[in-house]
Amino acid sequence: MINQSLSLPNNEEITTAPNGHRLLSLGRHMTILIEKQAIIRNVWLLILLAIACVATLGIGTMPISPKEVIAVLFGHGNAMSQFIVQDLRLPRLLAALFTGAAFSLAGCLMQTMARNRLATPGIIGIDNAAMAFAVSSVVGMGISLAPSVMALAGAATATALAFGLAGGSGTRGYRFIVAGIGIGAIAGAVTQLLLSQVSIDVANSAYPWTVGSLSARDPMMVSILGIGLVICLVACLLFASQFALMPFSDQVIMGLGANIKYIRIVALILCITLTGLAVAVAGPVGLIALIGPEIARVLARYRGIPLISSALAGALVMILADLFGRTVLSPIELPVGIVTAVIGGPYLIWILVRRTSRTSL
Amino acid sequence: MTATSLQFKPIPKQTPETNTLTRLCAEKLTLKHGKTSIIENLDVSLPEGKVTAIVGPNGCGKSTLLNGLSRIHSPSSGFVLLDGKDIHSLPSKEVARRLALLPQDTLAPDGITIEELIRFGRHPHQSLLKQWAMDDQQAINYALNAADLEGLKDRLLDTLSGGQRQRAWIAMSIAQETPLLLLDEPTSALDLGHQIEVFELIRNLSRQGKTLAMVVHDLPSACRYSDHIIAMKKGEIITQGSPKEVMTKELVRELYGVECDLIPDPMTGSPILINMKRVRS
Repeated sequence: MINQSLSLPNNEEITTAPNGHRLLSLGRHMTILIEKQAIIRNVWLLILLAIACVATLGIGTMPISPKEVIAVLFGHGNAMSQFIVQDLRLPRLLAALFTGAAFSLAGCLMQTMARNRLATPGIIGIDNAAMAFAVSSVVGMGISLAPSVMALAGAATATALAFGLAGGSGTRGYRFIVAGIGIGAIAGAVTQLLLSQVSIDVANSAYPWTVGSLSARDPMMVSILGIGLVICLVACLLFASQFALMPFSDQVIMGLGANIKYIRIVALILCITLTGLAVAVAGPVGLIALIGPEIARVLARYRGIPLISSALAGALVMILADLFGRTVLSPIELPVGIVTAVIGGPYLIWILVRRTSRTSL
Repeated sequence: MTATSLQFKPIPKQTPETNTLTRLCAEKLTLKHGKTSIIENLDVSLPEGKVTAIVGPNGCGKSTLLNGLSRIHSPSSGFVLLDGKDIHSLPSKEVARRLALLPQDTLAPDGITIEELIRFGRHPHQSLLKQWAMDDQQAINYALNAADLEGLKDRLLDTLSGGQRQRAWIAMSIAQETPLLLLDEPTSALDLGHQIEVFELIRNLSRQGKTLAMVVHDLPSACRYSDHIIAMKKGEIITQGSPKEVMTKELVRELYGVECDLIPDPMTGSPILINMKRVRS
């Protein structure tokens, strides 16, 4: 009797989730809030992504029916289909899936942190610096570490430089962006210089990095990216409630008891990791970081910070862009970086121009 | 749910050596912007359960003081004591459960509704595995009620009038359920009706036992809606006390270089400034 009245002072009231949310109770004191709209949005994106994956695995010089593709994925199908799907097309699909998700997630994080829709890792020069470091390891200048590691080092260096040059203003304000643009330009020039100094064969082997290509990527680097991506996605879920505070002013964030420096460092580390590892696989396909989050925000009706949706939308765009580049002028292949620039550029301009009322992020 | 059925959480136990009349005070506080000292060696305390108005000319360090008191601005020397303990030694989330700050600069996420904004006030009470509980729901309902926003809770923040928006921000601080609330110019950029709306809300919060401090520019409003006035100039407190004691012609001249006469408001007795003239100070 006494215990009951102590533990439930208001027992006629039942906790209900706020509008548009579902409450998951895990035991007495553990509750998790889930936004229904985000779940629906992400399930739709996953369905589209699955369709795009099956289509990508089926379309090519040797067409394979969707039914056969699914059979192969479940370990059946004939030997020829198995070879084409599993050995030829699947590695490339995974590279597209992971790089698209990684670039886009990094873009969404960076945009949110800088409170500026232009502030993607590509614009800040992180892509180019990662590329310069990766290329330098391929052409044998400097230390010959694996391109993944070099690309990560490049991404970290560019971010540190942009921070240093931005001075006290941190990631907010234009100094960070302007400094980053400068760093990106220098890194691009360094890449060209490196390539002009080596033999044509070596330059050719480094060429995919400079345009952004998914053709014949190193499976090792794709695996590293896949692992990194999973870790970063989990981190995004764990930090979701703190990342959600980033659009507020520093005073509000600190006033609510959150550690702004800590949140920013975590977000920056995620950006560097995702961008560096993705560049090591595909080169700088920076436009994905602008397009993916933009699609996610439109789908989320500009509410919240759609990190997971950004990753899914980025993966979807990358897969479709690569499929397009692979098939439209077949047998000639267009590098995916060129496709995203040709298709993504105008699309992005359309989105930016169309949206007039909400311009703050 | 009615406002009266809800009460703020019990005030945490104070350490024995603490002065029981004040929960937030500063001792020998020095605050700098870069190398420039804004405030030096300042002692100040906020009277418990009262509304304190901080007045003074532009650039006198009012907002800096408020940021210092709310641990946003770290002191170069001296201390801010919250319940007798150095505020910077306490976990930030713990501080956020006792003290809320409403800054002037109120950027909000895009496309946010009133209720969503107010929900952010619950951040210090939530954690990864405790994202929503009964007390969150009650605090938000209470804040919506206190700020008279129940009918507007699903409206987008940027479609509201200035006064409604400011009430929404204050409601977010109310949902934080802190015994202390600091507001930086809560009525600047509001028209007369909305100013009074916000001041009356602040008064109501103080009647319910909160300790409030606000930076205010309008002297008659400061007198009318506060119990205690702190007058600042060039980073120093010139005088402080109840509005009637503190507000004099001499103070107005000293603070703003304005010559004026003061008459009592026939209805409330609080001082009103008339016949104002700018003089060289």
